[in-house]
Amino acid sequence: MSYLSIRGLNKQYAATPVFRDINCEINRGEFVTLLGPSGCGKSTLLRCIAGLTAVDGGQIVLDGQDLLPLSPQKRGIGMVFQSYALFPNLTVAENVAFGLRMQKVARDECRQRVEDILALVELSAHADRYPHQLSGGQCQRVALARSLVTRPRLLLLDEPLSALDARIRKHLREQIRSIQQELGLTTLFVTHDQEEALILSDRIVLMNAGQIVQSGSAETLYTEPANAFAASFIGNYNLLDAEQASRLLQRPQPRQIAIRPEAISLQAEGSLRGIVQGHSLLGNVIRYRVQAHGVDLLVDVLNRSADDLLPAGSAVNLNIDPTAIREVA
Amino acid sequence: MSRANQLYHRSVVWLLLLILLLPLLGTLLYSLATSWSATILPSGLTLKWYGALWSDARFLTAFAQSLLVCAGALLLAVLLILPLLFVVHYHFPRLDGLMNLLILLPFAVPPVVSSVGLLQLYGSGPLAMVGTPWILLGCYFSLSLPFIYRAISNNLQAIHLHDLMDAAQLLGASPLQAALQVILPNLRKGLMVSLFLSFSFLFGEFVFANLLVGTRFETLQVYLNNMRNSSGHFNSALVISYFSFVVLCTWAASRLNKDRT
Repeated sequence: MSYLSIRGLNKQYAATPVFRDINCEINRGEFVTLLGPSGCGKSTLLRCIAGLTAVDGGQIVLDGQDLLPLSPQKRGIGMVFQSYALFPNLTVAENVAFGLRMQKVARDECRQRVEDILALVELSAHADRYPHQLSGGQCQRVALARSLVTRPRLLLLDEPLSALDARIRKHLREQIRSIQQELGLTTLFVTHDQEEALILSDRIVLMNAGQIVQSGSAETLYTEPANAFAASFIGNYNLLDAEQASRLLQRPQPRQIAIRPEAISLQAEGSLRGIVQGHSLLGNVIRYRVQAHGVDLLVDVLNRSADDLLPAGSAVNLNIDPTAIREVA
Repeated sequence: MSRANQLYHRSVVWLLLLILLLPLLGTLLYSLATSWSATILPSGLTLKWYGALWSDARFLTAFAQSLLVCAGALLLAVLLILPLLFVVHYHFPRLDGLMNLLILLPFAVPPVVSSVGLLQLYGSGPLAMVGTPWILLGCYFSLSLPFIYRAISNNLQAIHLHDLMDAAQLLGASPLQAALQVILPNLRKGLMVSLFLSFSFLFGEFVFANLLVGTRFETLQVYLNNMRNSSGHFNSALVISYFSFVVLCTWAASRLNKDRT
């Protein structure tokens, strides 16, 4: 049986449902990402698991124990917030020790555990600083240490990286992943950033408008989107309706299709002729906009040399990997 | 900015400051003068007026009574307003607009008008408090509300109240523990600043004190009014003493404000 299981969970504010009939199973030690656009209910779901928001129906079972009757203090769940939520009047060490103080852990043990966890997040040197003396990335590491020190049964991360700049975000997400694996922590991570989700997760749960759209590994979500929403949210799929698809492929297509931009290649010879409309440089990849049979396509090509760059108006031949063409609902 | 321009700005500021300070300087000098009537400068300097003032039992009583009423009113305000503010911001954020309106009422009605109403209400009947310090306590309480409410409300908005409460509770604190150990310490500065400000304001309050209580429970301002026919030197010493005390309080308040990071 799975470690955390969410069954038929409902939540609504007044008459507007936030999410309806959510079912989700998470195994011990798994890193699961709840991915979705803002307002899809993923943060509310996280708060319901933590006990900070009441649910209207359903069941949440953690390690065989029904969580719903328990107050947040008694659930044994750690949570990291987007706003860090560090206590401004306490030093780093006091912030981290707060949870242990509430659990009335003996002073010596408390000091030892705070030291250990600060070493784990590489902040031992800052133990006596106050939160306002730290950078955003350091604050979030303190928040992480504070929620880990009480040895929670489940770690919830609510967009912990969204307030940080790109470089620190990259570093911290690696740190979060390695700590999670080191401690074998069951972790639920909320984000709206597909790149974060793809890199970090054992499994991704894609949500939209209060419902789970698709759940699976990063590979599955990326290569086999369940529907048009999944295809449009993850990667940069070319979504073509039935009429466009038929025109492009020169054969009748009953349904809309999705084609990944890297599954199309530009070649010297080929049957499908197109005209380059323009390009954007994404670093290691050049993303061309190409028109073929009156259909606009995105085509990703590895950026091997600046000399190969095709100017707008160039005629090219397209080759579409037939296995990469996915019909989506 | 050009030099001439800067000079102009500076001189305007200094002139304004001089105009504001001149009466005070005159009062200070007068309070230190042995006698000063037909000459440009006083004939001699002395501290005897201060000595007389600070050994006058009636002055000391009035000073102590002023302190007592102000401190009592502020204590009452803090005890009532802090939990109220917390509840409003945490559970009923929509009430904040209504509270802001209510809290301004003491300033919407001029003191002379409201004191007439208070005299009517509390002059007789079950709540006959006119002439006792109790009515002043209540009155000063309502006067201090706007200062305290606004300062703490701003302070509450500056911290992430909900996230802090949530974080504390997930770490095992009960809602009461979270409020007392996490939220309260972070309101200390706003609270201290607003207390000092309203204290300085209430300490100089005259209209309510004079109309509602008068000489039966003499506060500092009422005492000053009653002494208006005694020696001018003595009164000057009184004004300067009072002023220095309030300046001290204001300075303390701004020091606390500056510490805020």
